Formats: sequence, C-alpha cells, structure tokens
Amino acid sequence: MRSIIRRREIVRDQLRYGGEALEEGTVRVYTLADWLQAARVTPSPAAVLLGATDELEVLAAYLQPVRWIVIDFAKIGEGRGYSQARLLRQRYRYAFELRARGAIKRDQLFFLARCGFDAFDLDRGEDLSAALSAFDSFTVAYQDASEDLLAPRRRASADAQPPA
Amino acid sequence: MYRYDQLDQTLIEQRVAQFRDQTARFLAGSLSEDEFRPLRLRNGLYIQRFAPMLRVSIPYGLLSSRQLRMLGHIARRYDRGFGHFTTRQNIQYNWPSLEQVPDILAELATVQMHAMQTSGNCIRNITCDHLAGVAPDELADPRPYCEIIRQWATLHPEFSYLPRKFKIAVTASPSDRAASEVHDVGVHLKRAADGALGFEILAGGGLGRTPIIGKVIREYLPQADLLAYLEAILRVYNRHGRRDNIHKARIKILLRALGVEEFRRQVEQEFAASREFAPRLAQREVDRMRGYFVPPPYESPLDDADAIDTSELSAAALASFKAWYRYNTRSHKVGGYRIVFVSLKRHGEAPGDMSAAQMEALADLADRYSFGMIRATHDQNLVLADVPQRSLRVLWQALEGLALSTPNIGTLTDMICCPGLDFCSLANAGSIPIAKQIQARFDDFDYLYDLGPIEIKMSGCMNACGHHHIGHIGILGVDKHGKEWYQITIGGSAAAPAALGQVIGPSVAKEAVADTIAKLLEVYLEERQDEDERFLDTVRRIGIEPFQERVYEIDHSAA
Repeated sequence: MRSIIRRREIVRDQLRYGGEALEEGTVRVYTLADWLQAARVTPSPAAVLLGATDELEVLAAYLQPVRWIVIDFAKIGEGRGYSQARLLRQRYRYAFELRARGAIKRDQLFFLARCGFDAFDLDRGEDLSAALSAFDSFTVAYQDASEDLLAPRRRASADAQPPA
Repeated sequence: MYRYDQLDQTLIEQRVAQFRDQTARFLAGSLSEDEFRPLRLRNGLYIQRFAPMLRVSIPYGLLSSRQLRMLGHIARRYDRGFGHFTTRQNIQYNWPSLEQVPDILAELATVQMHAMQTSGNCIRNITCDHLAGVAPDELADPRPYCEIIRQWATLHPEFSYLPRKFKIAVTASPSDRAASEVHDVGVHLKRAADGALGFEILAGGGLGRTPIIGKVIREYLPQADLLAYLEAILRVYNRHGRRDNIHKARIKILLRALGVEEFRRQVEQEFAASREFAPRLAQREVDRMRGYFVPPPYESPLDDADAIDTSELSAAALASFKAWYRYNTRSHKVGGYRIVFVSLKRHGEAPGDMSAAQMEALADLADRYSFGMIRATHDQNLVLADVPQRSLRVLWQALEGLALSTPNIGTLTDMICCPGLDFCSLANAGSIPIAKQIQARFDDFDYLYDLGPIEIKMSGCMNACGHHHIGHIGILGVDKHGKEWYQITIGGSAAAPAALGQVIGPSVAKEAVADTIAKLLEVYLEERQDEDERFLDTVRRIGIEPFQERVYEIDHSAA
C-alpha cells in the first residue's frame, strides 16, 4: 500500500492510476484525455493526472468537479509542473488537493509546496518521515507563496528601513 | 553595497545546512550521482577533471575588502592558494574536496557570500556593468535593480528547475560593458519620454554552440513591472522551452523557433494574465535598495591637474607609471578621482587567476585607497573604482609589488580565457597554454600599444565560457582525432552593437596559434587608415577576406 505526504502528514494513498485495482474508498485517476471525455458526463468528484506537456488551459475549462490534480514529474529535473501548479492555484483558483508525483525527493519539497502543492507522492526510495523535515528547510523566503501551507517570513518592504 | 539583514543571513545559513545534509546523504549513498548532480550544481559545485570545482557567487561583481580577504582565506585553506575570476564576475576554486565544501560555504556565509545558483538549470548570478555608479556615461546606477533581481531570483520556487541555465545582465550605459546582448535576458535602464525610469528588455541572446544576439522584446517597461515581466518571460520559457535536447534548451532556441513576434506575443499575454498575482516592484523598495548604493564620501572638490606627485620617480619608473595610468585607469564621474583596473593578465599567468596573498593585499589597498570596495569585471580583471588621483602613484607602486599592475588593459594580452583542458571536464582543448603562447609571443608593450584596443577571447570548447564568438579575435579549441586544434574568428564584439565573429577558415594547429594571430595583426597594421581605426573597425571596413588570404597563403600557392 502506497503512502504519501498530505498537508505535512504521512497518509495512505486513496488514488488509483491506470492498471491499478479500484477498491472500496479509492478513486480512479483520469488522464487528461480521458477526463475531457468523462467530464461531459461525470459531475461527481474526480481526480486528474496532468503530464508536463498537457495543456493546462484545456483542463481549466473542466475543473469544476475536480477534487484531485496529480502533476507528474517524469524525470529528475523536470520543472514544468512548478508553473502548472502556480497557475492552477493563482490563475484558475483551484482550491482542492494538488499533488506532485514522480521523480521528486525531499530536496524539491520546499519549492513544490511554495508553488501550491499540498500532497506529495515521492520517489519510491524516499524516506517519508525524514522527508517531512524538508518543509522547514527554510523559514524565510524572498517571494510570495501561492499557498499558506508554508508561510516563511518575507521582508515587508514597508517595514524595512533604508540603511543608515 | 547591499548589506544583509536577518532575513538574508538566515536564508544563506539555512542553505548551507541544507547543502550539508545533501552532501552527507550523497556520501552515505542515499542520494545517487544522478540525484545529487542537480543539487550540487545549483550550489556551484562541479565534479571536474581532477577534483570538484566550486564557483562562488559575486553578485554583479561587487566585493567588500572583507569578502575579498575571505576569498583569499578560502584559496589558502581549502585550495592550492589560488582562485580564478570568471567571465560572469564569479570566482572559481579548482581544488576543494567535496567533504569540505559545506565548511567553505559556512565560512562564506559569515561574510554574506554564497555559491547559490552559480550553476545548474536555474537563474544564475545577475551580472552588471563593472563601472556602475562611477561611469560618466550611465543613465542611473543599475545596482539597486541588480540586487532586487538577485533577491527575487534566489530560490525562486517556480523557476528553480528550468530547461537550462538562465543568465540576466543589467546595464545603464550605452556602451554596454556587461555583454547584455549575449545574455538570456538583458535589462537596459531607460527613461520614458516623461522622464520616468524603466527598462528596455532583450531576450534570447547567448553564446555556446548556437551564438545569437538578443532581441528587443519590450521597448519600454515601467519600473513597477520589472519582476512581473521577468516572471512572464521565465514562465513562457519554463513551460515551452525544449527539455529533450540539452543543446537546444536555452531560451534563445525557443525564441528562434517561435520567432520574435510570437515569442513577444506569448510573453505579453502571460504578463497581462498574471497581473493579479505577479510581484509589483514598489517605489519604496527601489528607494530602500538605492539607500545601499549611495556614493562613498568623496572629498570634493579635488584638483585634477596637479594631484599626482611623480617627482620621486626615476625616468624609467615614470615611463612605466605613465603607461599604467594610460592603460589601467579611466576617468571617473567625480573630479579628482580615477577608476583603477587591477590587471589579472600578467604575462605567464593564467588569465583571471589570483593568489591568496594577492587577494589579501589588494583588500588592504582597497581599504586604504578605494573605500574598501573591489569589483570583478566580466573580462576577468578587478577594479578599484574610487581612487583619489593623488593616491595613484603609491597605489601603482604597491600594485607593482604585487604583480598586479601589468599595463595591458584593453590590449591584445588582456585576454579572456576559460580554464580549458587543464581543469575542465567539458573542454576539448587547452586555453591557458594558448594564452601563455600569445603572451610570450606578444610581450613587447610598444607593439601592443601600437595595435591599440583589441580583444582576444578564447574558449576550450563550444560551450563558450571564454566568449570567443564576441572577441575581436576569437579562439575556439576543438578536438581533431585526439589532437588540440584552434578555430579562429574575427570581427566579434561584446560592446554595443554586439556582433558575432566570422570563422576565417580551417582550424590551426596548437603551435601555430600565435603565428596565425601575428598574420592577422600584420594585415591590420597594413590596412588600417590611421591609428584611431581599431582592429575591429578595420575588419568591419574591409571584411575578412584579406585576413583569410594572409593566414592561408600556403594553401593558395599550393593549389
């Protein structure tokens, strides 16, 4: 049974991908292409897998019933998902679970969380309890976060004084 | 100079702790080499031919004397007593041990320095005009904007895993001393018709195996939109830049594939659609940042005319001093002061190299004569930017004693040179031995001075760290059947308007490089209209054919 990190806790994964058996209480994950078909007839809560080259703008039109979006990081160094996440949160106001999955480890968690991911299906070899500490790698940041899951202190330039 | 507050300091110390943990996990085997590589690279650590290479960031080339002393200390304690200043105003150490890198970073953090984003597929060190704040020709001091961009780019969560590296240069001078036209993004300070300060934005420039001059994508951008517009450019690039081929992954390739009009349309569309959540640069923040870059407390007015006392110098020393004054100093925007170049191009040394003792001694000289500040230039020299005229003679004598006064700034032997095959695992051929060959061949200063301003830039492989495409004479090392050969280009220029050099013909053998350059110079001296016509001007006027004919004459006669 697969475990993931959700909102800084280790939990059982309830999502099932293509080829995995659906059991009681689990949710099937649609590929974007399948979802574009199913969305026309399925008003119920759904989970969608978004690949790095999938057109986010296409999904945006069918977001309403979506409760889980899984963004796939197929390779080490894949970076498109960071922009996809930020746009989903900030441009399309997607407010439900946003999950990163694939070739990611604790070393990417801080960046991912700052872009709006709140769930993480990490690389198989990763030690999840050790990974939890990575959310606290930094207590400060220069940029605004798109989520308040992590709210490191930013310098409020209104308060900062020019040097003497 | 910008000074860290508690937030900045906390961030770099936490980055040191994070990297210490990553290094420990790699050494313990819980991170594979493939997993560790992108982590170490984004902290400036390469695994090189003989040892790791650590590249330390010098944001926009600006150093305090305390920081330069620390760089000397690092060289002495963790390296073999040397550091190498790079073409992006950074410094590299070629012999640290992997296990000690976290300790080096911790020491750097005590003087507000780091190695963040000096490599890897992220936003690299922001570079700038090395004469910012003192050049008579600048519109406004660009450094406050450099620091604003630096902070915004540091550990940017969205843009830390880009398709490829991303380099930004900022300049406020029409002569562009930052090579901004060959950067992924060039930011040019510009005034609107109503006098408001903003920017012209270029994108898609770069060197490497596909050299391209950047295109203007925004004629005028208001100050408040600087970071929002950069985010729009980066987002279009992050989403649509190629990731399937490392050689086609820079933004220049995306821009070329889309065409400048379509690229601009996409950026503008992204920019417009992100207004609600994109960062806005408040005037208050700009003012706060400007407060860190106020001019030093100049004594004024100083008298320009009789401030230099050379009465104690012998005739020979006076001639040397005059040559140094002419070639290694520049006029300052404040009367009574000069800008002094510290040449790291001593004949017989690798260009850009500096010993720990030199760094420490120069830090002392900066304290005494230039308000404790030092700048690194993109052509691998250092600058003391604020020296009173009356101190020039004693400063020169001190620099003479340190072997840092070679009067060759702007001349043929003020070469840009990458580390090449001697250190770099990417290189196809040596660079430093060629630099030494050229230095040895052209060691007559009267001849160098007669040639006038001429820039040689040399890279040991097509990645072009030595900027060979934009040298008046460019030298590119290539591997031919396991032997080092060199392709020569002429007519390139880093200064505005930037230009890419043209290849003159088949590459030449290692031992023939200096001879080939001698032939190019012969043609120039024969063809130039007068002494004011630079080598580059002559190439532009007469084209490359006369140079080709001279270099390859043996082939012609044989045919």
